Amino acid sequence: MPRLQWSRATSATLLALVAALSLSACSDDDDNTPDSGVKVDAGTDAGSDAGTNTDAGSDAGSVDTGIAWDGGSAGTFSCEGKTQATLNFAPGQEEALQDQVNTLAECTTIQLAAGTYTFDNAITIRQNGITLAGAGKGTKGEGTGGASSTVLVFTNAAANSNGLDVVGNRFEVRDLAVWNAKKDAIRVESSVDVVMRRVRTEWAEADKESNGKYGLYPVKSKYVLIEDCEAYNAADAGIYVGQTEYAVVRNNVAKQNVAGIEIENTKYAYVLGNTAQDNTTGLVVFDLPGNPIKGTDIRVKNNTITGNNRNNFASVAASSSTVSQVPAGTGTFMLASRRVELTGNTWGNNNTVDVAVLSGLAIEDDVTLWEAGGFNFASADVYIHHNTFQGGSGDSVDNGNLSPQLRPLGAALAALYAYGETQGTLGVEHLVWDGLDPYGHDRALVNPINICFANNTLPSGTTTAIVDLDLQAAATLATQGNLPGAWGRTRHYAATKAEFACSGFSPALTIGDFIQ
Amino acid sequence: MWTSFVSPRLSVVLLALTLAACGSSDPEGPGTPPDAGTTVPDAGTGDAGGPDAGEPDAGSDAGTDAGTADAGVADAGPVDAGPPLVIPNTLSGFGLFTGSPADGGLVPVEGNVPYTLSTALFSDYAVKSRTLYIPPGKTAHYEPVAALDLPVGTLITKTFAFPADLRQPDQDVRVIETRVLVHQPAGWEAWPYVWNTEQTEATLATGGRSRDVTFIDLEGETRSFKYSVPSKNQCQQCHHLVDETGAQVMHPIGVKARYLHRPNTYGGVEHDQLEYLASLGKLDGLPAPANLPKAPDAFDPQAADLPTRARTYLDINCAHCHNPKGTAGITSQLFLNFDNASLFSLGECKRPGSAGAGVGGEFDIVPGNHAESILWYRMHTEESGKMMPQIGRTVHHAEGSQLIADWIDSMPAKTCK
Repeated sequence: MPRLQWSRATSATLLALVAALSLSACSDDDDNTPDSGVKVDAGTDAGSDAGTNTDAGSDAGSVDTGIAWDGGSAGTFSCEGKTQATLNFAPGQEEALQDQVNTLAECTTIQLAAGTYTFDNAITIRQNGITLAGAGKGTKGEGTGGASSTVLVFTNAAANSNGLDVVGNRFEVRDLAVWNAKKDAIRVESSVDVVMRRVRTEWAEADKESNGKYGLYPVKSKYVLIEDCEAYNAADAGIYVGQTEYAVVRNNVAKQNVAGIEIENTKYAYVLGNTAQDNTTGLVVFDLPGNPIKGTDIRVKNNTITGNNRNNFASVAASSSTVSQVPAGTGTFMLASRRVELTGNTWGNNNTVDVAVLSGLAIEDDVTLWEAGGFNFASADVYIHHNTFQGGSGDSVDNGNLSPQLRPLGAALAALYAYGETQGTLGVEHLVWDGLDPYGHDRALVNPINICFANNTLPSGTTTAIVDLDLQAAATLATQGNLPGAWGRTRHYAATKAEFACSGFSPALTIGDFIQ
Repeated sequence: MWTSFVSPRLSVVLLALTLAACGSSDPEGPGTPPDAGTTVPDAGTGDAGGPDAGEPDAGSDAGTDAGTADAGVADAGPVDAGPPLVIPNTLSGFGLFTGSPADGGLVPVEGNVPYTLSTALFSDYAVKSRTLYIPPGKTAHYEPVAALDLPVGTLITKTFAFPADLRQPDQDVRVIETRVLVHQPAGWEAWPYVWNTEQTEATLATGGRSRDVTFIDLEGETRSFKYSVPSKNQCQQCHHLVDETGAQVMHPIGVKARYLHRPNTYGGVEHDQLEYLASLGKLDGLPAPANLPKAPDAFDPQAADLPTRARTYLDINCAHCHNPKGTAGITSQLFLNFDNASLFSLGECKRPGSAGAGVGGEFDIVPGNHAESILWYRMHTEESGKMMPQIGRTVHHAEGSQLIADWIDSMPAKTCK
């Protein structure tokens, strides 16, 4: 299949091609993963019917999105009725700990006394029912354990090693800190029932590209709870829920990371009451190309996502990571995402933009690479309501530190708004839509992907709150040096714009409804 | 002074033990001497007492159900595979060797067959010796592509050692570790043993260890680094295939016909290794010699053309993960197995899902340009978080990365988009 170049190919060709792909995507949309309480097929048909083709199935699953699941045993493995031994360790017993970790009986609790533990390799757990518990997570900046904290130090560990590396059902880690892991601080893969509670993951130095990538990283897992944790200085994401089904991310703090909290290729996530500050980007929801799980049903509620203006320290020449392309000052973005509700959140002082809705084509325009997820590049059904926008955002795109090569969207946005300023638009609106999806849509349609913006509190004096960038046309014109033409393609709307004053999508999200 | 495993000596005592161990009368497994030290609980297959959530239960009640629970692996052994082998605390407890590196060399007992591979996994320039023990009365089945179908009770050992000077690989050799793959009734297990300073015994180190290693490399440069003995659980990072349920099932890697089909000297006589195993009654189903697959020595330009040698190197060094049934392969969709015919999933103009920052380029392979190919970069670099393989390598393999560079550069140049 020929590669698509959205900036060059003609719209007619693209429209035909994307429509053809959408058709095959529909017929190919089976879900290989077991379960899923409510089967939802919403707004992913990038062609013509985005947002309307909602099919609420009724397959009985073990956990419905509306059930009061908040971590613990939702899967089939349980320790109930089984021998549950506890192994106790103190600082200095790291070698014994490592030996025991490799021969654990299932349903063992490893209790670590307060203090500092130094490891030269990952703690690799491959057993079900394991709990790893310390005496406390300590506070930010503490690389050693105290009287009531347990700190696992990996500063001199083997290259390429994670801190905790876990595959095992019903896994829990609590009350400890993981310091200076070489790669990911806590990686839990292919596991069902995962709890991370009161855990701190941190690297000693801020803004260091060679820090580990992820702090708390459940991936390809199911039923995950991350609660009351802290994540600092990750060179990619502080908290990264990847390719997972059913995740609750609640009351955590993520600071000084490139991305504070990421929900990637994940179905059914409830992201509640977190604080994402001082990252490059605060809290983001996206699908990446090449992943078989098509993300959907994400509720982002009561989070504080402010002051995320840290310069992107993941960025280097020839990087191929997605997060390295994000301009500093991005509060929240959704990319290749659908059925996302954002409510009760606070955004402010994010120098580039508070909220952006982007097509997956903005980062990967070769649609063939989205085949694994059923051509899930289009975004649709985003409901942004009852949030507070404090202001101070959108006034210094990428902190003025522009790089068309590394962070092209930021550079394009900055160029557009530099011209816009001469036309009286003094900053990027609170909600940016790139205007790409459905690809090649009729521009007479104001809101073809059902983005709803309603009942939000905006700073006084706000004139326009929503922008449709028409990125394909605008970027092409801007590249040709025609900034007036490019700016002319963008559309700026008041918060009350009728086409955006909708009330979400149907069926409405239920995840988290019954979680207290 | 350390001796390579060339010519196995008969050890009557140990052979007797071995034979006894594998008869039905002795449940203890091959040759656990009375003084082998304390054993460790076998938690890998242990049973906490309750229902076992889909995991075969070969732990406490193995007498009744062992042999039925082989994690989906084809099992060459008889149905009644017997109880699991109790894992000894010391390497000598297996009874697989006589002698030690301290007293003239570690010598495989009769029945513990040394073998070599035509191209081997690179492990920080460690000199490796391998043995294969198939219990009496049991036979492995030939597999044309996958690892040989080895019966329950099979023991595979790999011993890692460093000579003081790589240019004299037989002199001043320090043995670091011996890894033992054990085919238990419930599946394969990997157990690492670390040699003591005196080189008289290796002790079970399930949690892995790190050891400072210094040697003089082929260019005469002194290299010092911290060598990591992997933990038992880390072994599975490489030694696994994902089954239909998505679970990782442990498998051996190197014992594949194409790497074993080469000569070795047994009792002073040269034999093809596969044919030798067959002659011992340890391998059946072997096709005619002309039909045996053969992987070349990747570093012998006479053995095969450059692409074949490069693909062989990638196969043995990368494809245990980067294959359609390896977790990393599934995640990355980069398949480096020798029989992958798709240029794209081999990496040509393939953008990685998430390679992280600074890995040399945007594509796994840019034909004609190794310097911008991530595949080469990650093999070449020694930087944590960027280097491949994930474990088992601290220093870079100059000859290996040169081979891959030459191969990529030999491809017709192409611009990737």
